[in-house]
Amino acid sequence: MCGILAVLGVTENSQARRSRIIELSRRLRHRGPDWSGLHYHQDCYLAHQRLAIVDPTSGDQPLYNEDKTVVVTVNGEIYNHKELRKKLQSHQFRTGSDCEVIAHLYEEYGEDFVDMLDGMFSFVLLDTRDNSFIAARDAIGITPLYIGWGLDGSIWFASEMKALSDDCERFLSFLPGHIYSSKSGALRRWYNPPWYSEQIPSAPYEPLVLRKAFEKAVVKRLMTDVPFGVLLSGGLDSSLVASVASRYMIDSEAACQWGSQLHTFCIGLKGSPDLRAAREVADYLRTRHHEFHFTVQEGIDALEEVIYHIETYDVTTIRASTPMFLMSRKIKSLGVKMVLSGEGSDEIFGGYLYFHKAPNKEELHKETCAKIKALHLYDCLRANKATSAWGVEARVPFLDKEFINIAMGIDPEWKMVRPDLGRIEKWILRNAFDDEQHPYLPKHILYRQKEQFSDGVGYSWIDGLKDHANQQVTDAMLANASFVYPENTPTTKEGYHYRTIFERFFPKNAARSTVPGGPSVACSTAKAVEWDAAWSKNLDPSGRAALGVHVASYEETKAVADASAINGTPEK
Amino acid sequence: MCGILAVLGCSDDCQAKRVRVLELSRRLKHRGPDWSGLYQHGDCYLSHQRLAIVDPASGDQPLFNEDGRIVVTVNGEIYNHEELRNNLPNHKFRTGSDCEVIAHLYEEHGENFVDMLDGMFSFVLLDTRDNSFVAARDAIGITSLYIGWGLDGSVWISSELKGLNDECEHFEVFPPGHLYSSKMGCLRRWYNPPWFSEAIPSTPYEPLDLRRAFEKAVIKRLMTDVPFGVLLSGGLDSSLVAAVTARHLAGTKAAKHWGVQLHSFCVGLEGSPDLKAAKEVADYLGTVHHEFHFTVQDGIDAIEDVIYHIETYDVTTIRASTPMFLMSRKIKSLGVKMVLSGEGADEIFGGYLYFHKAPNKDEFHRETCRKIKALHQYDCLRANKATSAWGLEARVPFLDKEFVNVAMSFDPDWKMIKPEENRIEKWILRKAFDDEERPYLPKHILYRQKEQFSDGVGYSWIDGLKAHAEDHVNDKMMLNAAHIFPHNTPTTKEAYYYRMIFDRFFPQNSASLTVPGGASVACSTATAVAWDESWSKNLDPSGRAALGVHNSPYEKRAAVVANGKLATKVTEPVARVMGTAAPGLTIRG
Repeated sequence: MCGILAVLGVTENSQARRSRIIELSRRLRHRGPDWSGLHYHQDCYLAHQRLAIVDPTSGDQPLYNEDKTVVVTVNGEIYNHKELRKKLQSHQFRTGSDCEVIAHLYEEYGEDFVDMLDGMFSFVLLDTRDNSFIAARDAIGITPLYIGWGLDGSIWFASEMKALSDDCERFLSFLPGHIYSSKSGALRRWYNPPWYSEQIPSAPYEPLVLRKAFEKAVVKRLMTDVPFGVLLSGGLDSSLVASVASRYMIDSEAACQWGSQLHTFCIGLKGSPDLRAAREVADYLRTRHHEFHFTVQEGIDALEEVIYHIETYDVTTIRASTPMFLMSRKIKSLGVKMVLSGEGSDEIFGGYLYFHKAPNKEELHKETCAKIKALHLYDCLRANKATSAWGVEARVPFLDKEFINIAMGIDPEWKMVRPDLGRIEKWILRNAFDDEQHPYLPKHILYRQKEQFSDGVGYSWIDGLKDHANQQVTDAMLANASFVYPENTPTTKEGYHYRTIFERFFPKNAARSTVPGGPSVACSTAKAVEWDAAWSKNLDPSGRAALGVHVASYEETKAVADASAINGTPEK
Repeated sequence: MCGILAVLGCSDDCQAKRVRVLELSRRLKHRGPDWSGLYQHGDCYLSHQRLAIVDPASGDQPLFNEDGRIVVTVNGEIYNHEELRNNLPNHKFRTGSDCEVIAHLYEEHGENFVDMLDGMFSFVLLDTRDNSFVAARDAIGITSLYIGWGLDGSVWISSELKGLNDECEHFEVFPPGHLYSSKMGCLRRWYNPPWFSEAIPSTPYEPLDLRRAFEKAVIKRLMTDVPFGVLLSGGLDSSLVAAVTARHLAGTKAAKHWGVQLHSFCVGLEGSPDLKAAKEVADYLGTVHHEFHFTVQDGIDAIEDVIYHIETYDVTTIRASTPMFLMSRKIKSLGVKMVLSGEGADEIFGGYLYFHKAPNKDEFHRETCRKIKALHQYDCLRANKATSAWGLEARVPFLDKEFVNVAMSFDPDWKMIKPEENRIEKWILRKAFDDEERPYLPKHILYRQKEQFSDGVGYSWIDGLKAHAEDHVNDKMMLNAAHIFPHNTPTTKEAYYYRMIFDRFFPQNSASLTVPGGASVACSTATAVAWDESWSKNLDPSGRAALGVHNSPYEKRAAVVANGKLATKVTEPVARVMGTAAPGLTIRG
């Protein structure tokens, strides 16, 4: 990942202003520790902090078209950049950077080129010929982006809130799949896939089509000039990523430079279920597996930093971000700059346990659509910022545009959890990789149910967080919560504790509003809470509440899952 | 490098205090990006930000003795740790970290073990049995360290000023070669080498002794479990470091992991003298050479960040730190975590041009002693903090304890510049590596005089800085300078500009007192200014003022030594500046 900051149309451009923008851009340096750049044109500044993944030697940003009239600062990876370059025969490229193509595409096609990009990206492009600019964010919001407005009439864009929150009067999360054009002065959605309307699709389930689409999604993400690896929790999603990556790595450019043995990474409290499950998968795939242990105290000590980096007060996101944040530091210290990760699968296939209670396929499908649309506020936010905090880039093959189109085009009847037919959650994904001749994973792993949410890193993690919050937050504090925090009022001491930390770093109203809220059970949308009358009474945001579903209805399945569970030794 | 912060006896063990210590420790995270640790015992906190160089897998800090009652947080490298371990056969070690030995040595020897350590280090050790602690800093001050006192009776010790300046009522530089013991409640010097008294030594010059001492100093610094390289400006000092490293790399453990080909790094404005000189040396040695270019604008944009990191307002230090700071970022981005660097030779051998005017060997020698003692405020500060800003560690073989002893024991008459005997500055060092059979460096490099100070990165760098300061500091501001900055009053606009930035980051009075000042010409001490009457009238801190020395008396020799090319440069400083200004000043935007 990289960090971008653009300030457009400031009224004064003194040295003090330049210094200020450099200072603000430095707040994003963790995202791009390798180099920084600042382009300045009249009253516009484009700043960039670079993590060099493709073309480390010449791809410093900002990037330009041939005559330097078009300038672009980009955070992201454009996987089809070589193909796009071929379409631009008449253009001369200055660097080997995958992102340079954006400047040339704009020159060729104007503002309507964003959908041609296959990848994850946020960028701001300045056309110095007429001082107009555009900003855009990838389809799902894998990369973060914020937009803000200054009192002097300036418009600000930044990869993270911390770069603009102090200088903007108001700011918002920049919507994924959208483009802002200074000419129209408004945001419009450029991403219009068939599933977006939430119509119920009817394509029959073709396991091989789904498998091929995912394999393509993984393979294109092996584009890198630096060492990389896979985050492996031992669950279905990350195990599939690791399996496909290790299978296709030999043919990739990356393998020529860094060897064909895949590195995998897992974190947990000592003896946690994830560590054990991941080890099993790593052994099967013969990866170079790295295990990291953390203690509850280390996690608690990191909380403030996690909240500063992730920029949320959402309870489950913070719980899950902390181990990922700690692990990213260790990964980076090994010299690894990029990792593949399994985010998105649970949303696309309805993998959360509460989906067991989906009343019908229509409801299930709509819920998956809503979950995908909200990903940028939850798992994408976490995966991107927890890794970027240490200059590690996370790539998420499940959120490949083409893969989503295929997975979301299948009749949702196939995604329904049907114990009567032996179909557990994400069955269509499991079945797609159930290859008898060349097994991707052993059957018991392919079909196992794993700990959800943050339980996998060790059962005492969440308990430890709750205990810690209970010590910090009194009953009286919680009683006044709705007055202190009228918006998204925290309902638990844990939520309250995170909120106070968040407010210290980001005290403005606008910051508060970038974080989603509302009732939820086990990560459901508010709408899905209605699926079970009992849920609205017990709004524990973690997966445990929904475990009732799990244990009661499907004890048989659970027995299998339990076999892999380990008694987490409480840390303190 | 790593970053350490210790807070001792703060009479507060609440969660808020812990959070505050964590927050302050994070200010040192650039020094140790790989992991962090916090040990709390009652109202004592030892925190650590780790850069993993030796034993990355298990050496997370703080470190402990066997029974966990002695805790130590260390920034540094102990090169003789294996030897020391062997001397402690009845101790059980928990990690492979070189720094763990400190806890065991204390257990064995009490407070009197510091001189047994060979390396660079700063540490704080807490003995939980009686809640006493000791803190110490290496002989020369290669690693940085500060000490402060809080109003609550707490003692604070931190690798950088920024770790403690907001919490302490008073703070100071922790003097190098010293030890603070809570039992005594004061600092005492543990480093007592023969040269410290500044008595004039009389050992005759033995070229091979000097060479061997330096080779040993380099070799012991190849102890690493991670990729490393050499900073190579193409001058004598860095070229010798590179030459010796390249020669001895093959036998080391590091070479087994990372290959026998040495990486070398150089930074400069495009077309700068250093880039050219370094390339020549790299080609000769066959290193994998990396050249980094920066523009004057890149440098100016980095100034605030540089001052925040280096924690000084000393003009020459800032000028020289900026390119090093930029280069360190690039080096780190290549995955390299440690570099060898040539700091210290100019101090030990009197390599600065103003030494040409040393009136006699006694004066010469005492000036070298003063310069070495002040290194921690100048070149050590720069080398350590400019690299640590990006999680890169700099090791400086010229400041090896044993090497310094050898080099400072020679009769200083040998160090005197004697054009009549063809001895230019640092002649005894050059001569020591003048090996006809197996040359370390080609003669013309071994005996060449190089650009001094920051001129080497490109002549327009300093001019660009001055021009930038001119734009932002007006004459009126200068008139009031003495009232605003009564201590170390800035005398130039450039100095004033840096001072404003420094004060913004470090507003406390204590902070400005940590930076040295006083009259200086071309990096001399105030005492040496008296060597030439004309100097006190023209106190330009850069090397250019002393160029007068260089040009006039020794034109003939310069022409011989410098192979013609350098001679034209040296005798035409003005034309030279004009000549390279154009490519250097490619300011973006």
